[in-house]
Amino acid sequence: MNGNRKTPIFIILLLLILTVVSAAVFITHNVQAQMSGVMATVRIIVCGNGIAEADEECDGTDFKSQTCIGFGYGGGTLSCDNACDFDISSCTTGGAPIGGGSSTRIATKVIFQGKAYPNSSITILKDGEVTTVVMADSNADFRAEITDLTAGIYTFGLWAKDKDGIKSIIYTLTFRVRVSTITTVSGIYLPPTIDIDKTRLQKGEILNIFGQTIPNVEVDVYIFSGEIIEKTQADEIGAWLLLFNTQALEDGPHITKARFQLNDEERSIFSEALSFYIGEGGPDIVFSDADFNDDGRVSLVDFSILLYHWGTDNVRCDLNRNRVVDLPDFSIMLYYWTG
Amino acid sequence: MIKKYFSKNNLSKFVFLFVLIGVSISLGAKAAVLYLEPAEEEYHREDVFIVEVRLDSEEEYINTTKVNLTFSKEVLEVRDFSQGNSILTLWLEEPSFSNQAGTISFIGGIPGGYLGEDGSLGKIIFKAKKEGKGEIQFQEDSQVLLNDGFGTEAELKKQGAALNILAEKLEAPKDEWLGELKRDNTPPEPFEIKIHQDSAIFEGKHFIIFSTTDKQTGIDYYEVKESERDWKKAKSPYLLEDQTLKSIIKVKAVDKAGNEIIAEYVPLKKSFPYWIIILILAGVGIVWWIIQKLRYVKK
Repeated sequence: MNGNRKTPIFIILLLLILTVVSAAVFITHNVQAQMSGVMATVRIIVCGNGIAEADEECDGTDFKSQTCIGFGYGGGTLSCDNACDFDISSCTTGGAPIGGGSSTRIATKVIFQGKAYPNSSITILKDGEVTTVVMADSNADFRAEITDLTAGIYTFGLWAKDKDGIKSIIYTLTFRVRVSTITTVSGIYLPPTIDIDKTRLQKGEILNIFGQTIPNVEVDVYIFSGEIIEKTQADEIGAWLLLFNTQALEDGPHITKARFQLNDEERSIFSEALSFYIGEGGPDIVFSDADFNDDGRVSLVDFSILLYHWGTDNVRCDLNRNRVVDLPDFSIMLYYWTG
Repeated sequence: MIKKYFSKNNLSKFVFLFVLIGVSISLGAKAAVLYLEPAEEEYHREDVFIVEVRLDSEEEYINTTKVNLTFSKEVLEVRDFSQGNSILTLWLEEPSFSNQAGTISFIGGIPGGYLGEDGSLGKIIFKAKKEGKGEIQFQEDSQVLLNDGFGTEAELKKQGAALNILAEKLEAPKDEWLGELKRDNTPPEPFEIKIHQDSAIFEGKHFIIFSTTDKQTGIDYYEVKESERDWKKAKSPYLLEDQTLKSIIKVKAVDKAGNEIIAEYVPLKKSFPYWIIILILAGVGIVWWIIQKLRYVKK
């Protein structure tokens, strides 16, 4: 009788433990998902939407309760200019306005601000095609303006080339551009560039993993399949190097990628993932060169070549070596896209 | 009361359900979702309405989507497919549909991938042709691939739509698509024609590539014209008829509302080879000088 009473309690306890464990799995899953790609740094502010957001002084008729009197004038009309800054030209010292203000229609524009690598070139793509190239300063800061836009959904992509000519992966942002607004996207941190000195080595050999990022940040280098996270420091020009001892890894294929973390909230997305192989034999490393016409870019021409060979066994376009040009090859090409 | 609900059997069922929900939440956390908007709605016979195919990437960058849909062909009829405002910029297989088979399919990609919860892949324009339940379902072979450089297939949930088609209304049927067409007076985005030659395709012959988007109703078709030849419907890449590259090439992009934009490629005219004249004059000068020299020697 006593045993019978204990059975349901035991089942409840057991199942509650299971539930807690599954909830923990859920949380871990989510943390991993966030780590795998979501950027926590980007802010999008729209000037012209009538809402004065955090970094705007005003927007349309939203003055955040500010008035001419708040600026120390006797009265007059405070207005908001096209850049969402206060225009005090119609404020008065008691008599006439201090200047003549006029309002014109805002041009539809998108502004990108962020960090790449010191003195690097940043290529900006609009719906997959190159729209402009800008340079970062010695602190790795860059700013770019895209004009001549019509209203609609756009996918913008940004990638940079470091001091050694290594390209970053594309950092993409998809959002709606509204007519007569200035959309400012700030806090864009391009992921570090990454390269390795060997793709096939023996267990215990040192693998040099290196690249460039913003100056003086800590770079987290992930070795997958070993699930190892190593830390290294970028120097004053953003160059980083990790001498990784492969003793801890099993024979077989491995992947490495890197990202930097400025603080608890600000971090980059992951860099390109690079493959290497420990031990004898093993499969070929995935052929990742989607630049089919060898012009140094992965663009519409390469897409045309892939399209032409779609469904065939063309060796050049069969990037994952499964003997057919199919969906994974298209996906790999889009990963290495430069526009 | 508690005893009533927590009888041995019910208790097991309750706890099993509790755990099942917990486990299913945990397992399903990372799957991308292909879904339709609206998922449930009522329309009347003869209505023309829009069903949007959307992607929720669920915290992963997705760069490739393969969509195969089936629909109740007795109840619904596809009128058109719009790529307007789609997040897909490269179409490996353009949208196609068959009202006989009740199928819609397309393959598209986003360079660098898409991260978001309501990315529009395209709009299907349906006409309700008969009363009944109009179901639209994603087929099993629909796929989305991660932007990870390896072409990894992402876990995927598929959520179709169940539409209720009622009897025809007394008033005029609604036409959501016509409204969009009337509002669209903006031509497609400006674009460029690029000429290429590659041994890998068209047996090394010259071809052109072109691509643009239309942010309203979407691109309907392209046409190509080489000098005095007629306009021809075309797709990129397009093999040029005039391989001498002397023709002016025009490509016209037309959106679903009929707005158009034309890109033009004018071949560079070779400048007159003035160096040949200089060479000839120099040659004549040298010959004349030699003749003069010979005359002088003879004298």
